[in-house]
Amino acid sequence: MSAKPQSIGEKSEDERLRKVSKLKVILNRPELGALGGSILVFIFFGIIAGDSGMFSAYGTINFLEVSANLGIIAIAAAMLMIGGEFDLSVGSMIGFAGICIAIPAIYWGWPLWSAIVFAFAIAVLVGYANGLLVVRTGLPSFIVTLAMLFILRGATLALTRLITGRTQVPGLRVLIDNDPIAWIFSADAFTGLFAWLGSLGLITLRQDGTPLAIGVPASVLWWIFLTILATWILMKTRYGNWIFASGGDKLGARNLGVPVTRVKISLFIGTAVAATIYACVQVLDVGSADTMRGFLKELEAIVAAVVGGCLLTGGYGSAIGAAFGALIFGTVSMGIYYTDVDTDWFKVFLGMMMLIAVIFNNFIRRRVTESK
Amino acid sequence: MSEETIVEFNQISKFFGSVIALQEVTMHIKKGEIMCLLGDNGAGKSTLIKTLSGVHKPDKGEIIVEGKKIIFDSPRDALDMGIATVYQDLALVSLMSVTRNFFMGREPIKGFGPFKTFDIEKANSIAAEKMKQIGIDIRDVSQAVGTMSGGERQCLAISRAIYFGAKVLILDEPTSALGVHQASVVLKYIVKAASQGLGVILITHNVHHAYPVGNSFTILSRGRSMGTYSKQKLSREKLLNMMAGGEELDKLEVELKEIDRIGKKNN
Amino acid sequence: MRKIYLTVLAFLTWAMMSVAAFATDVIVVSHGQANDPFWSVAKNGVDSACKDMNITCKYTAPGTFDMVEMAKLIDNAVAQNPKGIVITLPDAAALGKSVKAAIAAGIPVISMNSGSDDYASLGISVHVGQTEFEAGVGGGQKMKAAGGKKALCVNHEVGNVALDRRCAGFKKGFGGSVDILGTSNDPTEIQKAVAAKLGAGYDTILTLGASLAGEPALAAIEAAGKLGKVRLGTFDMSPNMLKAAAAGKVEFLIDQQQYLQGYLPIVIFAQYMRWGTMPAGVVMTGPGFVTPDNASSVIKWAAQGYR
Repeated sequence: MSAKPQSIGEKSEDERLRKVSKLKVILNRPELGALGGSILVFIFFGIIAGDSGMFSAYGTINFLEVSANLGIIAIAAAMLMIGGEFDLSVGSMIGFAGICIAIPAIYWGWPLWSAIVFAFAIAVLVGYANGLLVVRTGLPSFIVTLAMLFILRGATLALTRLITGRTQVPGLRVLIDNDPIAWIFSADAFTGLFAWLGSLGLITLRQDGTPLAIGVPASVLWWIFLTILATWILMKTRYGNWIFASGGDKLGARNLGVPVTRVKISLFIGTAVAATIYACVQVLDVGSADTMRGFLKELEAIVAAVVGGCLLTGGYGSAIGAAFGALIFGTVSMGIYYTDVDTDWFKVFLGMMMLIAVIFNNFIRRRVTESK
Repeated sequence: MSEETIVEFNQISKFFGSVIALQEVTMHIKKGEIMCLLGDNGAGKSTLIKTLSGVHKPDKGEIIVEGKKIIFDSPRDALDMGIATVYQDLALVSLMSVTRNFFMGREPIKGFGPFKTFDIEKANSIAAEKMKQIGIDIRDVSQAVGTMSGGERQCLAISRAIYFGAKVLILDEPTSALGVHQASVVLKYIVKAASQGLGVILITHNVHHAYPVGNSFTILSRGRSMGTYSKQKLSREKLLNMMAGGEELDKLEVELKEIDRIGKKNN
Repeated sequence: MRKIYLTVLAFLTWAMMSVAAFATDVIVVSHGQANDPFWSVAKNGVDSACKDMNITCKYTAPGTFDMVEMAKLIDNAVAQNPKGIVITLPDAAALGKSVKAAIAAGIPVISMNSGSDDYASLGISVHVGQTEFEAGVGGGQKMKAAGGKKALCVNHEVGNVALDRRCAGFKKGFGGSVDILGTSNDPTEIQKAVAAKLGAGYDTILTLGASLAGEPALAAIEAAGKLGKVRLGTFDMSPNMLKAAAAGKVEFLIDQQQYLQGYLPIVIFAQYMRWGTMPAGVVMTGPGFVTPDNASSVIKWAAQGYR
C-alpha cells in the first residue's frame, strides 16, 4: 500500500470500504468459532432432546454446572496458552487441592475457612514452582507440567493414604453451614427468584412445595466472574498486552522491555489457583475429597480453550471463547444422556465439534493475517 | 572525538570459546550518519551488533556512549541508553494489532491503583498518527500487523524505535526480504530518520541498497575491520570489489570465459 | 466455507434421524460401565425386563468410576422426570444429595448391587442385591453340611467392609473354627500364602474373589496334591473357576446373580406404574450357588451374557 494523495472521488470509495471492515472486524474475532459452535449445539439438542427435560430449569442448571466447572479452569488455561505455555498439572492440582482442604478440616480439626485459605496458599506455591521451572530451565512447559502432573497426583495419593489410610475424605458437608468463607463456593444465588418462579409453576416443584431447581449455583457465578475478569485483563490492561506479547514473540517482547518471566510465572499461578477454585466448589458440593478427582481435566481445559479460538502456539486467543468452549463441552457431555445415543459416541461428537471449531477458527485467523 | 559522535566502539574483541568472532574492531557513529556495515557471511556483523545492543558483553575493548564508558548488562540497558535494534524478525507479533505492537512493553496507562488500564484510545490515536507520518496507508490501527506488507512492517518497527527515543538505530538486513518498491520505501524512511539527527547502522548484503543511502561504510572480514570509508573516497564498483573480494571475482570471470570457450569449441 | 456448512448440516441430519427422543419410563444410573463383563450381564437383565414388561428403559453410567459424574447423571435423570430411577449406591455420601433430590421431586428410587447399608437412610424403599454377611452365612452353612471342621477365609483386602463382612458371615454359618488369612491382592502372593497354610490341617478354604484369589488358591491346592482333601469355595465367578467347578474341583461359587439385579428393579417399577405397589427392604438376589451339578449350564449361559 503506497501513500497516494486521495482525490475526492476516491474518498467515497473509502467510506464504503469502511462499512465492510466493521463487519469484518466482528467476523475476525477469535470467539466466533466457539459462539457459533454453542449455537449449533443448542439447536441440535433443542431438536433431538427438546422436551426431554434437558432445558427445564433443573436440567439447564445441571449442564451449566458442568460447563461452569470446566470453564473456571479453561479460562485460566486459555490465558496461559495465549501467553505461550501449557499446564498439564491442572487435573492433579484439583485432586491435591481437594485433600489440602479436606484433611486439615477433618483430621486436624482446622476450621473450614482456614483449610480453604491453606489450599490457596499451596496453589500459589505450586504455580510458582511450575512457572519458575519452565522459565529457568527453558524446557517446554508441556514436559515440566507433565512431570508435575505425576508428582502432584502421586503426592495426593501417598499423603492421603499416609494420613487417613483411605483414598477418600468424607464428612465435609456438615462443616459448611457455620463457616464464614465456604458459602462463596457452595451457595446458590437468586433462591428467592427461583422460589417465586416455582410458585408461578414455571419451575417443577418438589413434593414439599420448594422448587426443584433451587437457584444459580456458585460455580456458574464464578465462571461468569472469571470470564469478565480475564477478558478485562487481556483486553484492557497493560499486563494483558504483555501476555499476548509473551506468547507471540517471547524474545522480541523481552527485548522491548516486557517482563516475560514475571508474566509467565503469574499465569502458572493463575492456573493453579483456578484448579483450587474448582476443587473448592467440587469438594463442598460433594462433601468429600478423593485422590482421583480432576483426572484428565487439564486436557478438557485445553480442548475448551482451543475450541474457543486459542492458538496452541500462543499469542492469540480469547477468554470468552474458552468460556463458550466450556459451554459446548458441558452441554454435549450432559445432553447426550438425555438421548438414547450410546454415551461412547460422546467422544466422537466432541472430537468432531472440536475439529469443526478449530477449522473455522483457522480460517478466520488466516483472513486476519493475510496481506491485503 | 567530536560532540557529534554518539557511540564509539573501540578495539572490541569477542570470543566464543576458541572461536574469535571479533578482533579489535573499531567503529564510530555520528549524529545523522548512516553507517553501512558490510561483509560476507560469517564476517562478524551479527556479533558486532549484538555486542553493541547488549546481548553479548565484549571480552576486550570498550563501548562509549555520548562520551561515557558504558557496560550493558542486558538488551534493556542498551535500549534505555537509546540504542535500538530492529532485528530481522522485527519483534512484531503478526496476530496483534498495530497499536498493541507499537506500544509493546511501553503501553500508556490511565487510572490508578489496581484498576490501571491500558489507554487504548490514546495509543490508537498516536499509532495512527505515526503511521500517517511514515506514509503507511492503514485504515484501522487496531487491525492485525499480519495484514501489512513486509516493507510496512519494517517501517512500523523503525517508527516504534524512533518514537521511544532511539538515538542510534541498528537495522539488521531490513531490505533483504523486500521487493524493489518496498525496499525503496524503507530506505527513504531511514534517510528521513537520519536527517532528524539519529545515527543509523545499516547491515546489508546489497550494495545497491547500501551505496545510495550510506554516508560511511565499514567492512568486516573474518572478525576484523577492513576499515571505514566515507562515500567521497569510495566508488560503487570499488565498494563492490571490496565486499565480494575483487580477486575472486576476477578469477571467476576468467574461469567462466574458459568454460564458454570450451563449450563453443565442442559445438 | 461451504464445505464446512454442508458437513455440519449432513452430520446434524444424520444425527437427528438416528436419534429418537421419547420419554423414558425408567432410567438406570449405575457405576458399572456396560463394557465390563460383570455389568453387561446386569444391563442385559435391564434390557430383558424392559422388553418383558413392555416399558421403556435407559441404562446409563459414567465413563469411569467417578462419583461426581454419577451424581450429575442422577440429576440429569431427575430432570427427565421418569416414572422411576434405579441406581447403584457405591458411595452414599457423594450420591446422597442427588438421590434425596430425586425422591423429593416425587420420583421413586430403587437401589441395586451396592449400598445395602445406606439405602434406607436416603429414603430408598427397596434394595435389590446380595448382602455380604448373609451370603457368607450361606457359604458357611454349605461347607458345614459338606463336613468341614477347620476353615480358612482368605481376605485379600482387609479393611474393605464388604469383604470383612463376607468372612464374618462365613464364620457364623460354618460354626467350626475359622481363621482369617489377610493377603495383598497380588495373585502370586496369595498362592504362596495359601500354600504355606496347607500344612496346618485346614479342610476348607473360602476366597472372596474368583480370578483374583480363587484361582491362585486352587493352584496351591493342586500343587500340594490336596485336591479332594481340601474343599474350596469362592465368592463371585470367573471362566476358569466355572470350568474347575464343572470338573468337580471346586465345591461352589457364590453368584450374586447380577442379571437379577438388573431385571428385578424394572419388574418392581412396572408393577408400581400399574398398581402403585412397592415392596420394602432388601430383595436378595444371592447367594446363588454354582456347584459341580449346575456348572455346565451356567457356563453356557455365561457365554450368552445371562450369568
